[in-house]
Amino acid sequence: MSPFTRRHLLRSASAAAVAGTAVGAVSTSAARAQAAPASPMFRHGVASGDPLPDGVLLWTRVSPTADALPGSGVGPDVTVKWEVATDATFRRVVARGSQATGAIRDHTVKVEPRGLKPATTYWYRFLVGRNISPAGRTRTAPALGASVERLRIGVVSCANLQAGWFSSYRHLAAAGDLDLVLHLGDYLYEYAPGEYQARDVVVRPHDPAAEMTELEHYRRRHAQYKQDADLQSLHAVAPFVVTWDDHESANDAWSGGAENHTEGAEGSWLQRRAAALQAYAEWMPVRYDAGGQLYRRLAFGSLASISMLDLRSYRDEQASSLTDPAIDSPERSITGGPQMDWLLDSLASQDTQWKLVGNPVMIAPIRFPSTLSTAEVGAMQTLLGTTTVDGVPYNVDQWDGYAADQSRVLGHLRDNAITDTVFLTGDIHSGWACDLPADPATYPLNGKSVGTELVCTSVTSDNLDDILDAPPRSASLAVEEAFKANNPHVKYLDFDSHGYSVLEVTPAGVRMDWYVLAERTDRNSPAALSQSWQVAAGTQKVVPAGGSA
Amino acid sequence: MSSAAPAPYPASRRQFLRLGVAGGAAVVLSGTASAAWGRPPVPAAGERVRAYVLVVDGCRPDEITRTLTPRLAALRSGGTAFPAARSLPVMETIPNHVMMMTGARPDRTGVPANRIYDRAEGLQRDLDRPSDLVFPTILERLNAAGGTTGTVLSKEYLYGIFHGRATYQWEPAPLLPLTAHAPDTATMDALIAMVDSVDPDLVFTNLGDIDRLGHSDLSGTTLQAARTAALASTDEQIGRFVDHLTVTGRWDTSVVFVLADHSMDWSVPSNVISVDLILQQRPDLRSQLVIAQNGGADLLYWTGDMNSRDAALAEISALVRAHPGVLAVTAPADLRLGPAAGDLVATCRAGWRFSDPYVVSNPIPGNHGHPATEPIPFFIGGGSARVARGRVSSEPARTVDVAPTVGALFGLGEPDGGYDGIARTAAFSN
Repeated sequence: MSPFTRRHLLRSASAAAVAGTAVGAVSTSAARAQAAPASPMFRHGVASGDPLPDGVLLWTRVSPTADALPGSGVGPDVTVKWEVATDATFRRVVARGSQATGAIRDHTVKVEPRGLKPATTYWYRFLVGRNISPAGRTRTAPALGASVERLRIGVVSCANLQAGWFSSYRHLAAAGDLDLVLHLGDYLYEYAPGEYQARDVVVRPHDPAAEMTELEHYRRRHAQYKQDADLQSLHAVAPFVVTWDDHESANDAWSGGAENHTEGAEGSWLQRRAAALQAYAEWMPVRYDAGGQLYRRLAFGSLASISMLDLRSYRDEQASSLTDPAIDSPERSITGGPQMDWLLDSLASQDTQWKLVGNPVMIAPIRFPSTLSTAEVGAMQTLLGTTTVDGVPYNVDQWDGYAADQSRVLGHLRDNAITDTVFLTGDIHSGWACDLPADPATYPLNGKSVGTELVCTSVTSDNLDDILDAPPRSASLAVEEAFKANNPHVKYLDFDSHGYSVLEVTPAGVRMDWYVLAERTDRNSPAALSQSWQVAAGTQKVVPAGGSA
Repeated sequence: MSSAAPAPYPASRRQFLRLGVAGGAAVVLSGTASAAWGRPPVPAAGERVRAYVLVVDGCRPDEITRTLTPRLAALRSGGTAFPAARSLPVMETIPNHVMMMTGARPDRTGVPANRIYDRAEGLQRDLDRPSDLVFPTILERLNAAGGTTGTVLSKEYLYGIFHGRATYQWEPAPLLPLTAHAPDTATMDALIAMVDSVDPDLVFTNLGDIDRLGHSDLSGTTLQAARTAALASTDEQIGRFVDHLTVTGRWDTSVVFVLADHSMDWSVPSNVISVDLILQQRPDLRSQLVIAQNGGADLLYWTGDMNSRDAALAEISALVRAHPGVLAVTAPADLRLGPAAGDLVATCRAGWRFSDPYVVSNPIPGNHGHPATEPIPFFIGGGSARVARGRVSSEPARTVDVAPTVGALFGLGEPDGGYDGIARTAAFSN
């Protein structure tokens, strides 16, 4: 999304108060590491991802010498051993192997053990000489077609390290019963210290102290985030399933550029994006090689599939304004043709009951209300990074800005009576629960919905009350009510809170719980359950949890 | 093109029984020559199981709610529900009832649609003849294994195609003039009378009101009210049956399958597709094509020179696909429909309907046959200890799964060549 335009960022940079130094922030967070301090060799933790019925991807990064710093391109080649066991003490090792790494891949390691049992919890660790990594816990997916009674999924997005502490990750890690964590993008941010933070306070400055534009920058930034103790703790207890949004490269990225990219002054976009993708492939526990295909589908027995979208690599440039007729052009795409065909096939597949879609930006059509005050309109414009016009789509970076693709997906659901499709979305730093109208014009009369969308809020990134500089749940309430009144398929909307969501999937229904942090800038912030909404099987409608269809 | 004569039922030696029911009406049942009257069947072994397959014709899964259809909702929540259940092509009444009772797809049963073009006879007709169905039903196979069966089917054409297969059958009466179906009150009278008198092990019942009121209301404005009233009324009849099983001591041995054969989709008058109209620009193609209209699907039969068939079908397919209301044009084999379905199957988008052979041929707003009408309610309840209670299953239950599931309940083996459906034993407690 566009939390600020680039011009706004540059203007505000000088006003930002920078708290502490990058080094200090990192060492502070490292001090909060898990009970067993991580070996310096494995200071970036361990992670797993993309579980299959017979395997799961394992990740770590090694620091074999003092100078083998992330992004440095320095350090010896190393052989890293790995073990997978059915117990936390590694008495029953069921798979082991080794893999070489070195500066050429920033000393990151990704291995893919196969032959594991489905729906089984495993522990894994890495070894270099006498150095042993912290043990990670992971879990394979159920067998294809198997009956599954329940899946619990942590859902997060938009974690800006400069804007606060990752308490959301800590609370999710403490939940202890997650089958996986869905990260919907903006896992890290590209901005330099002072460019984008918590209102005007940099809680933890980014490293390097510059906007990331080169491979070294992207690698160092990934390394900084991976040293956050709360993020490490979550990676260590459940497999992640990730996709990227824009900030993994630059704000409002599209296939040929980004809002936050100046061609020439910041190098070429193709080179910058290649650097971002390489660092992402190296540093994330994902079955993705730089330049390859990120969109993919994972299945969890007969209960659910998760189609993870890539809405940045193939999209046409955003429309120039909200009234730009290009919005409706069938020639413009947010997915690209092959990904659209793949998505439609994935949705039509009858192998699984619930068709979950990891969707980086909102697909529900949202129209801008006409009843806001000047200040509220201004704040929304700042949140969205665009001008706004009453009654037209409010954010052209979302599916709304690519109306032909949006219509094709929703029409596909309707024409084929595809049931139990749930879009799980991030990006917009706010919590939403929406029906997806079969026809927005007649929805207020008949309530017909072809699917649902559940949007988690930001882990830390600014939202409306931050921009209005108002206390949470005060000035935003009127804006939320106006949005809901103008968009009756929006049932729940929280423009203010930061936090995380937990999605529970059963054959009878899907339920999302929104947990909100007391204070994102407090490293020990507690979290509390704020809202619970559910989708009963076969209904395509969101209702308050405990309500009935 | 002429229509077929009424279904000629094969001559057989059948016995008849006239039963009085509440309200003074009479129910007439017929039975096979060897059928016993008034004697409850003897269970083969262990506890007796009674299975009732109740088809709420044309019901959408989202129409079953605690407020509108409390008895159906209670059956669903008290047993095992399959929320991912769907009908199978073509989403019409006759082929899906046939799939339920055979466990086989249309390329094996010979019954792909309600209405086909009969090449041998050179006419369009409904598939309502017993000889149209060429695959053994679970009714016949259970009879052969020593069980007894019954059919209580509200629609004349269903009575036709299943004629003579069950131990006992009811001929729907009185038939409403516009819809050719018996109202659910009469159908339920017959079901209860059959259970009370001869108590079959398995009864296959179709309740037609919900479907027929979805189809026959032409005004549009009262459609929803009529549909709602039909749902509430049918729910009462379901409740009446459950109560009757309870008060007569049969509930504890009963397994009740509830499903629809297809759901329903409504179109506005302007959303009409006429393949006839599309091909007006190509009389050379139109004159050699027969169109069998099935609501949301058209079956297209090439009757011209076989040498030009493939090229002609490619052209027809391209012309029909170009219509904005057309979802797909498919080879019947891809849908496992068999040769009786012709050469191409066109399906419409949600909110559309076909009207052929003429653009005024299909004036009714409620239709099915296209993919938008695939989702169906499908749940298995009842008082038998065999029923798993309060369970919801992700399994993709289909209409073709009914026979395998009933077969599993009674311990029957598979038919020759096996089932195409799957026994949904997730609904059973062991």
